[in-house]
Formats: sequence, structure tokens, C-alpha cells
Amino acid sequence: MKVRTIALSTFGSFLRNKVIILFCSLFVCIVLLMMSPLLEYKSMTAAANAQQMQGFVLNEVAMVMSMVSGFGSLLAAWAAADSVAGEMKSGTILAVMARPLPRWQFLAGKYLGVLMLMGVYVIAMLGVTFLLAWLGGQRFHTSLWVLLVYPMVRYAIWAAISMFLVTLLHPVVVMGVVIVLATLIQIFGSASSHIPRWVRLPVHLILPLTNLLSEERFLTITRASLKPYPWTNHLTALAYGLDYALACFLLAVLVFQSRSLSRD
Amino acid sequence: MEAPAIEFSDVTKTYQRRFAGVRVPALSGVSFEVARGEVCAFLGPNGAGKTTSMSILMGFIYADHGRSSVFGYVPGDVRAKERIGFLPENFAFYRYLTAEKLLQFHLHLSGRRLADPGALIADLLAKVRLEGYASLKIGKYSRGMVQRLGIAQALLGNPELLVLDEPTSGLDPAGRKEVRDLILALKAEGKTIFLSSHILSEVEQICDRVIIIDRGHLVRAGGLQEMLAEGNRVEIVVDQLPEGLELAVTECGALVDREGKRVRITADTSQKRALAEMLWAGGCDIVSFTPMKNSLEETFLKLVGKGGAE
Repeated sequence: MKVRTIALSTFGSFLRNKVIILFCSLFVCIVLLMMSPLLEYKSMTAAANAQQMQGFVLNEVAMVMSMVSGFGSLLAAWAAADSVAGEMKSGTILAVMARPLPRWQFLAGKYLGVLMLMGVYVIAMLGVTFLLAWLGGQRFHTSLWVLLVYPMVRYAIWAAISMFLVTLLHPVVVMGVVIVLATLIQIFGSASSHIPRWVRLPVHLILPLTNLLSEERFLTITRASLKPYPWTNHLTALAYGLDYALACFLLAVLVFQSRSLSRD
Repeated sequence: MEAPAIEFSDVTKTYQRRFAGVRVPALSGVSFEVARGEVCAFLGPNGAGKTTSMSILMGFIYADHGRSSVFGYVPGDVRAKERIGFLPENFAFYRYLTAEKLLQFHLHLSGRRLADPGALIADLLAKVRLEGYASLKIGKYSRGMVQRLGIAQALLGNPELLVLDEPTSGLDPAGRKEVRDLILALKAEGKTIFLSSHILSEVEQICDRVIIIDRGHLVRAGGLQEMLAEGNRVEIVVDQLPEGLELAVTECGALVDREGKRVRITADTSQKRALAEMLWAGGCDIVSFTPMKNSLEETFLKLVGKGGAE
């Protein structure tokens, strides 16, 4: 009950947050920018060039998906850091924590509030993907759950990492660390064969393997269909992601339990 | 035996700046108790360690050494917090909420289940004179209104102990009187109140006990009346004072103030016997002989030095 109250309040404050509003405006601008060449191309292309049209549309969808998905990771990290740091900065945390509310419940409420925001974001992202495909005259032959659950687990990881870091560091530093981590993941994900094993192994153990949790792993975007993977593959990938997020969240609770609460 | 409402035993807290290696001692071996049903003022100049002590009491920060408890529980324990209403210094709020929504939010967090929460909220808003502003966003409130709302949220859980950090800060004289009356009404209900304030005349009107700290050290703790009665001056009122005798009286270090037909003489307690005998021998009729009480402000300034009180 108390966790839900904190979560709803956090979600409500996100909806009034200027940075989030700016973020959403940027999101809408990107969609509009993507739509206009698509519509133009569609009007110019003859029916005979259906193959060419399909390629163009799906490439565009893939580009939007990866861009918006990357933005989403940053949004999750920022929202998690801001939700805790903002309460400390304004001093509202004092009146809240004076209530009979264990510290872990406060953090759990904040985390759930971030996940609610990311849920809305994932649904919007999915809506945009289908809208672009529909405008290009294409249809996705895929299960919706993959496109919903995988990004959510990925964002849950970034939110938990950020929540852990913000119990120790300033939110601006947290965002810097998150960007460095995301860059390292990309480097180790794409060029891991060139990196010595003694470096690769510990890094793989410490960093979240968000590439493993990418829905694009299962989605043949150029054919707009889902690759046939066994359910165990989904299960292990999602269990890994949730486990990683839970470990980070528990670390955040542990650190938050012993930290001083004061107006920053 | 019932545990006291608040207990501090040899509490020490030092703030450390990460990386800079700077250590700032905030509290050094502070010990005191607040009994149940007492109204206790926690006084000290700025930076004395009042807010640090209150933060330890609320479980926001942890002491380095010593023991502290609230109703026998470790500070921060949910069972202790269920019985506390807290007003932080410069109460901060979610500016986008209305007073009603904020109180609803805090009521949910307090875990208090009521058949009609709206009635309690309306009652509390009326108590702090905000009944007409329930649906106005808090961002539009004046500082005094915010402070009053802070007091209302502290009362939400029907707490046994109220911890108020500068409850009258930001209020106009009328608002201060209302808060004072409210505290007296809560005292009559048997609530324990632990408050910090710089307005010592107010403290004198509402508190039973006073705890004074300065630079992290406990300077004095005791009953307000006994603290005020420790004045070391006496006031003697006589019907007349011949000029020759006035000279002798002033040589004893006394001050003479002629008020119409009466003469008021104030002197150090150590001179009271000599003065009385001198006046009696000089043929003066002593109308009254009263030990003078200190004001809390005088006591406070004597203990912590000037610059402490407003």
C-alpha cells in the first residue's frame, strides 16, 4: 500500500517533470521526421517496386527502434537517479521518511514509479514502430510480448544501476557513469573478439549484457518477423536480466539503508 | 517501567567531508531525556546541533557513538515513527499538489485507516486555518501557509510525540499565537512535544522543560521554572529614600529607580541583607521585597553567550 502510494506519486511527478516533457517532445519530433520521408517515398514508389518499398520501410523502422530504445535506457537511468536525488535536493524526503515507512519501501516505490514511466514509454515506442510500418504499408508478423517485455527488462536494469549509483554519487556523475557503461557494453558487444580474454571475462561478468536482452536478437527486422527461438532461450535471457536488476536494486537498498538523509 | 519519550545517552556525531578529509563535530556526548507528556524546548544558537539531534531522533542520520531511543525503540524504527509527528525546519512539499492531496498522500504513508479520511483532513485544515485553501496548489501558498500545512501533516497520524523544528518560523504574530495555542491544546491532550525555537519568549509561555546545547555540547537541561527562578537579583520597593541614603545604597552596587511616590531598588542577592538593614535603620518603609526572575533570554545568553537568540 505504502509502496504503491510512493510509486504513484513518483509517476505523477514524472508527468509534470520538465525534462520528461522535453524528452517526449524530442520523441515526437523524431517520429515526425521519420514519417515525412516515408510518406514521400511511398507516394513516389510504384506498386512494382514493392520489394524496394518494404526494404526502405523496415530499415527506417529498425533505425527508429534502436534510436528510441537507446534513448529509453538513458531515460530510465535519468528518471531513477532524479526520483531519489530530487527528493533529497528539495528536502521533501524528510517529511516522507518521518512516516512509518522503511527505507527499502521508499526505494521500491521510487523504482516502481520509474518502471511505470518506462511502461508508458515502451507502449509509445511500440505504437510508433507499428505506426511507421503501417504508414509504409508493412505488417509485423511477431509476438507483441517480445517487443514489450525485453525493453522493460533492459530498462529495469538501467534504472536499478542508476538507483544504486545515486545512493552514492551526484546524479550528474551517475549519468556520466551510465553513459560510460553503455559505451563499454557496445564496445565489448561488437568487438569482443579483438579483446584479450582476461579483460573480456571480468567485464562480461560485471557489466549487464543488455545486448542479450535486445528484442532485435529475436526479430528479423528485414523480414518483420520473429525468429523461432526455443522458450528456454527467452527464459534464461529474461531471468538473467531480472536477476541483474534485482541485484543492483538490493545493492541500492543496502547503501540507502546506511546513508544520511538530509536536504542536499 | 515505561521508557521515556526520548532518550539520548552520550550521543556523539561528527560530519566528515568525503575526499576533503574535514571533520566537523556536531554533537559531543549529549545526554538528556524527555518524559512522556512533557513540552520540552530544545534551544541553542545556530549551528549548535539542534537539527542534527532531531535528525538522529528521526532516524535520518546515525550517531557515531552513544545510544538514543524513542519510546524505547531505536530511532528510525517503524514502531517509533508510528507514534511521531514531525515538522522539519523549512517544511518542503510537492508544489504541484493541493493541501488536500498532500495530506491524503501522508495519510496513506502513515498507515492510519479511517472510515472518513476526508473529514480528518478537513478538520486538520480548519485547525491550522487553511480550510478555504484545500484545493489550491501548494506552490501558490505563502511561507506562513506552508508552515501551517506542515503542522497539519505532523498531526495527521494522531501522534503521541510531536517533534517540531522551528514551528513558528515564517509566521506572522497572529499565526504564531495560533500555533502557540495549538501546542497548548495538544499539551492539554497529554501529547509529548519536543520543539526547537529561537523565539524564547514563546518558549517561556508553552514549555515545561528546556534543554540548551551549544557547539554540540549540552549546556543545561532542567525545568523552565527552576531555571528562571535562579535569578541572582532582588527588587526592594520603599515608600521614600532620603538622598544621603541613596548614595549609600548605590555604593552597594544597587540601582535606584524613582517612580512617583515609590522608589524601586534592584541589587545583587548577596547585598540583600545589608540593604534591608540599611533601609530599615534609615527609617524607610519597605513595601515589597521580591527575588527577581530571569527571563529565559537572559538565562540563555548567560549560558551560550551573546548572538544566540533572536
